[in-house]
Amino acid sequence: MESLLKLSLSAHYANKPAVLREVTFEIGRGEILGLVGPSGCGKSTLSLAILRLLHLKRGAATGSIEFQGRDLMLLRESEMRALRGKEIGLVLQSPLASLNPALRIGTQLAEAWRAHVKSSREDCNEAIRQMLSTVSLPSDDEFLRRYPSQMSVGQAQRVLIGMAVLHRPALLLADEPTSALDPVTQSEILRLFANLSQRFNMSILYISHDLLSVAAISHRVAVLSAGQIVECAETAQVFRNPQHPYTRALVDSIPLQALNELAGNQHATARTAAAGSSK
Amino acid sequence: MNSRSRVLLSLIFFFVTTLASAQGGGQLRFCLRSDPKTFDPVLVDDDPSERVRYITGGFLMRLNRFTQQLEPELATSWKVSKDGRTISFRLREGLRFSDGTPFSADDVAFTMQRLMDLSLHSPTGDAFRSGDGKVQTQVLAPNKISVTFPAPIASLDQHFDQVAIMSAKSPKKEMAVLGPFYVSDYKAGSYLQLNRNPNYWKHDENGRQLPYLDSVRLDIQGNRDTEMLRFLRGEIDLVDNVDAEYYSRVQTEQAGSGHDSGVTLDPEQVWFNQTPKSPIPAYKRAWFRSTNFRVAIWQALNRDDIARIVYRGRAQSAVGMLSPADKFWFNTRLTTHSYDRQGALKLLAQDGFRLQNGQLFDRDGHLVEFSLVTGAGNKTRERIATMMQQDLSQIGIKLNVVPLDFPSLIERITRTYDYEACLLGLTNMSLGPDAQMNVWLSSADNHQWNPRQKQPETAWEAEIDRLMRTQASSLDPKKRKEAFDRVQQIAWEQAPFIYLVNRHALSAISPKLHNAQPAVLQPYVYWNIDRISKSAEVASK
Amino acid sequence: MIWMRNIAIGVLAMTFAACLLAGTIAPASYAMQFREEPDAAPSHQHWLGTDDLGRDRFSRLLQGTRISLLLAPAAAFLTSVLAGLIGGIAGYWGGWTERVLMAAADLVLSLPWLFLLLTARALMPLNVSPMNSVAITFLILGLLGWAAAARVVCAGARSLRASDFSLQARAMGCGEARLLFRHVAPNLQPMLLTQFWISIPVFILAEANLGILGLGVVEPLPSWGSLLKELSGLTAISGQPWVFVPLLLLIAVVTSFQVLLVDQELPS
Repeated sequence: MESLLKLSLSAHYANKPAVLREVTFEIGRGEILGLVGPSGCGKSTLSLAILRLLHLKRGAATGSIEFQGRDLMLLRESEMRALRGKEIGLVLQSPLASLNPALRIGTQLAEAWRAHVKSSREDCNEAIRQMLSTVSLPSDDEFLRRYPSQMSVGQAQRVLIGMAVLHRPALLLADEPTSALDPVTQSEILRLFANLSQRFNMSILYISHDLLSVAAISHRVAVLSAGQIVECAETAQVFRNPQHPYTRALVDSIPLQALNELAGNQHATARTAAAGSSK
Repeated sequence: MNSRSRVLLSLIFFFVTTLASAQGGGQLRFCLRSDPKTFDPVLVDDDPSERVRYITGGFLMRLNRFTQQLEPELATSWKVSKDGRTISFRLREGLRFSDGTPFSADDVAFTMQRLMDLSLHSPTGDAFRSGDGKVQTQVLAPNKISVTFPAPIASLDQHFDQVAIMSAKSPKKEMAVLGPFYVSDYKAGSYLQLNRNPNYWKHDENGRQLPYLDSVRLDIQGNRDTEMLRFLRGEIDLVDNVDAEYYSRVQTEQAGSGHDSGVTLDPEQVWFNQTPKSPIPAYKRAWFRSTNFRVAIWQALNRDDIARIVYRGRAQSAVGMLSPADKFWFNTRLTTHSYDRQGALKLLAQDGFRLQNGQLFDRDGHLVEFSLVTGAGNKTRERIATMMQQDLSQIGIKLNVVPLDFPSLIERITRTYDYEACLLGLTNMSLGPDAQMNVWLSSADNHQWNPRQKQPETAWEAEIDRLMRTQASSLDPKKRKEAFDRVQQIAWEQAPFIYLVNRHALSAISPKLHNAQPAVLQPYVYWNIDRISKSAEVASK
Repeated sequence: MIWMRNIAIGVLAMTFAACLLAGTIAPASYAMQFREEPDAAPSHQHWLGTDDLGRDRFSRLLQGTRISLLLAPAAAFLTSVLAGLIGGIAGYWGGWTERVLMAAADLVLSLPWLFLLLTARALMPLNVSPMNSVAITFLILGLLGWAAAARVVCAGARSLRASDFSLQARAMGCGEARLLFRHVAPNLQPMLLTQFWISIPVFILAEANLGILGLGVVEPLPSWGSLLKELSGLTAISGQPWVFVPLLLLIAVVTSFQVLLVDQELPS
């Protein structure tokens, strides 16, 4: 598989040294890589570091991020900005907090579109409507005029995902995108990710603390513990033969029935993923 | 004397003194606007201190506020020398200060020395400082003293109205007084309690010791609204100086308690800036220096309307520099400038001004517009200015009223001279020409329209200078009056000050008060405080 | 509350219409002194009576409303815009920008304004038309009022900057200026609107009080402030209920604006 992203990163915060220690992995084009780890192990740091937005949280990263043959660490801020949202999308954990409460949905989507494309209002509207139908949302005016507070959490997450894939990025960073959702919605969203990845040949770095939901859509799984990748392998292999003690503990915590079903079908159905990952 | 009889005697003494000091005249209550800054009579410089000094001080002689005559008090007689430098007094004998210290000529000498002590900067003493050198006091006998000043002083005896005699020996210093009351308790910001002086020397016609009142309580109250409300509620007995606006309210709510004693000495006046060094345009200065222009403005102002509307009739159109309230000095040949719009326009036409489409232009085509500065926050003056605006617009003049906070106003009229016309009121504390010297001499600081002239810039100012000096150096009242009449005449013709109105002395007096006889000189109501009583029985005796 | 809204619209419409038509419906000039009838009670000729110089109160109310209703909101708008810009930029950029701007705000709050206003008056020429004087006063008020509000806005902007939606917008490739003006600013809007509405009555009264410094509206021009100032003092409250009409109108107008504002507020 052709390599899209290849990184080797260390990161720290002002008051917290060595959050990431030489984290190294690779994502192929169209591949979904699951990244699991306990809370506070540096998963979110990683997604911000890739977007070079870590300074917003008063952090800094060193190392290299090779993306489409360029080292992002060497790019100027303006070049980085052209990349964000266009080539690399981001979906955050809490959909309602991630949408601007003061802007109508239509306005926010238009903003996201205009950040990279100079086009007529019609083209913009057309792109938005198309994207909304891709993420199975209504695209009528009534819906576009809504404020985030007038939507359900599931709808809001779809809007966010839609916004992240509006420009058909090569890479989507999904940072715990389903942990704020109820099980049914969660499974729908997982299916949407798998779907989008296939449709647009889009790579996804799927970050979660929940191994089962990761397993449901990932080709490979990387396990992050204490700032380091402790294991990185095919999903089935991780389940069948976990190497690291932390991975083993993770696998052991999954109900047996769910595990059996997984063993039979690497790309698990949404139903089982949903059932298994409910907490 | 055995100890028992001594106790008895002191008991009797106690009864006698308490009986003597309990006159039954009650307690008089009124308000001071702010705390007195000093109780030292020599250092008095503010109105509340002056009022306390008036009530507590003993004076050699005093101007009767009602008759405007100088009357003997601690001095039974006095004589001013021909050269006007020396005054000799014969003093009353057997008097004691409020603390019991005996009074003698030494106290007068002590007071005069303190008064003239340059290091104390006594504002009262300023009236006596006519030349360099020291004052000389000569105690001729315990009841005789003469005081000699370095240079002659016009109406020397009049100035003693402000000089409260202090004790040279009393350990209580300035708190030992010769007046009808002494300060017994003072709480800053709250009140001042004055008790009757048991050693006060004056007696009424029936031989009864004055004052009738037992005590006076002065509340410190800065807010005039509150003061009026307290009067209407009966909490205080008098308001010494009532605004016309409040006066009509007092009249409607408590018929009979408002007193209008008639026109006061105080004028409201307008003047134009004629100072050559002022930063105003030359063509404007030319207007202001024109007598015709000034008199025309005077005639164009409807002063009767101002008296009627702003003062609700409690004022009258002013005649000139002196108010008719100054009975002796007022020049009775003068009458008020008539309100005459056509006459004003005629005078202006003589100077080349012309009225076009309701606007007045000077001969060079400048629109006649000027600003009038006045103290901000003074409702009366702001109203007067607004009325002037309308009056002047009728002869095509645009008047811009500029209310300024008081310090800025003083800065402009005394230092930067950056103003065009000014409206201010004057409080005249004394009668006659003495206090007018530092206004009318062209070299004077208070020669407002053009102060501190090295040489008089106009013939009429030169003549006023000469006349003012003549009257000041003369000891003959007739000659002085003649000269000062002429000064009033010139001031009336030249109009450096445009006098608008003289207000009336308005006061509110509780019907419970007896013997109150409000006057037009301050203090209006309690100038005879030793005879005021709250008990009809005590007063009528 | 449709009926409240309708009443509010009615009050405002009538007030604005009356202001616009002040010239035609006013029975007399606001400056004209009817000297034969000062302090008159309401009559056929003088609907609200006359003031102490005999000027028609109704005409003065119309003119005063016109001035205050035009200038006070303008000053409030100016002050809100300044507070939004300065506070927004400070909170958004943080760091030394915030420190410098907030120090400036503290400085403005701590300055002895009394003396500065006196200086301002001293610098103004003496012959200023009444209209210019009142306009300058409101301009000064507008330029000075921002500091306290800017601090609040700054705190708001700071938290908005750290919010998830800002991060999301940045991750979408949004630039800094665009983020500030298109994403953060709309969230500050309720704060600024509140500031705007609070400022209007404050400025109306402040203008009246500046009169004692020689600033503010000068005779013969009326403003709401100067009309309200007549109500202070003992004599004003004696049996002349019609003099309170300006006060009632002020309350009615401010309340009406607020009713409409609440109606417009974002659903939450």
